Amino acid sequence: MKFKKGQVDDEIPTASMADIAFLLIIYFMVTTTFAATRGLDFSLPQEEDSPLVDKEESVLIEVQPGGVLVVDNKPLQLDQILDYLKPKLERNPMKPVIIRSTEMTEYGHMVSVFDELRQAPEKIGIEIKNVSIPTQREIDMFWY
Amino acid sequence: MADIAFLLIIFFMVTINFEVDKTQVFLPKTEIRLEIPKKSAYISVTESGQIRVSGGEEISVPVHPEDVLSFAADVVARDPQRAFVLKADTNVPYRYVDGVMDSLKQAKAQVIYLLSEQETVDSAASGG
Repeated sequence: MKFKKGQVDDEIPTASMADIAFLLIIYFMVTTTFAATRGLDFSLPQEEDSPLVDKEESVLIEVQPGGVLVVDNKPLQLDQILDYLKPKLERNPMKPVIIRSTEMTEYGHMVSVFDELRQAPEKIGIEIKNVSIPTQREIDMFWY
Repeated sequence: MADIAFLLIIFFMVTINFEVDKTQVFLPKTEIRLEIPKKSAYISVTESGQIRVSGGEEISVPVHPEDVLSFAADVVARDPQRAFVLKADTNVPYRYVDGVMDSLKQAKAQVIYLLSEQETVDSAASGG
């Protein structure tokens, strides 16, 4: 008896493998988006009633529309802030720095100021540990 | 051929990042940029002040500014450690961002990442 007719091929057919693989590649290439996944971190105070810093002790940076900066009632440029803060921080490393923006200030200008403060370790060699960005509600509640 | 194709597939599968929020905004530029943890909750604010939120796993949905607090409180209740990503347009008036920040503070969020693009020497020189 001959069984030639019933012989089965013992290899998995892989001829279409590359086609399937390329289809998958194209799918992943099309759906991949190089999303921005980085940013500046800002930790929020966790105490129940975060002590609002004494106005006299802190440095107040006011950010006005167009990126105009007023630091302790003196107009300054963005790149002058750290030089202004350096002697104060040398005396008191925990010196609170408050960033306050007006309603119409563009968000980007506030972020630039925050970014500048975060670069303090590289630029002036001191870390600014106490940066706060109060919201309007907090200002209304606690400001005097 | 199939081997190379599978290598490429594996590369794309590993690097794929499902973007939960597809809002188009011009991000502010910063020099310091830290990696944002995966599955962070997203809040996007467009230049006109429209807000969209996502808990980190689903596609973002538009919400009313007053509803950001309940959204944030819900996210914090499920996972107190969950990071929030604020994806706001660089030109949006600060009062919109202020409202979002206030909601996050009230919801006892722990950390907010301000999504940004890399500041380059050219963009710094041109003032933007």
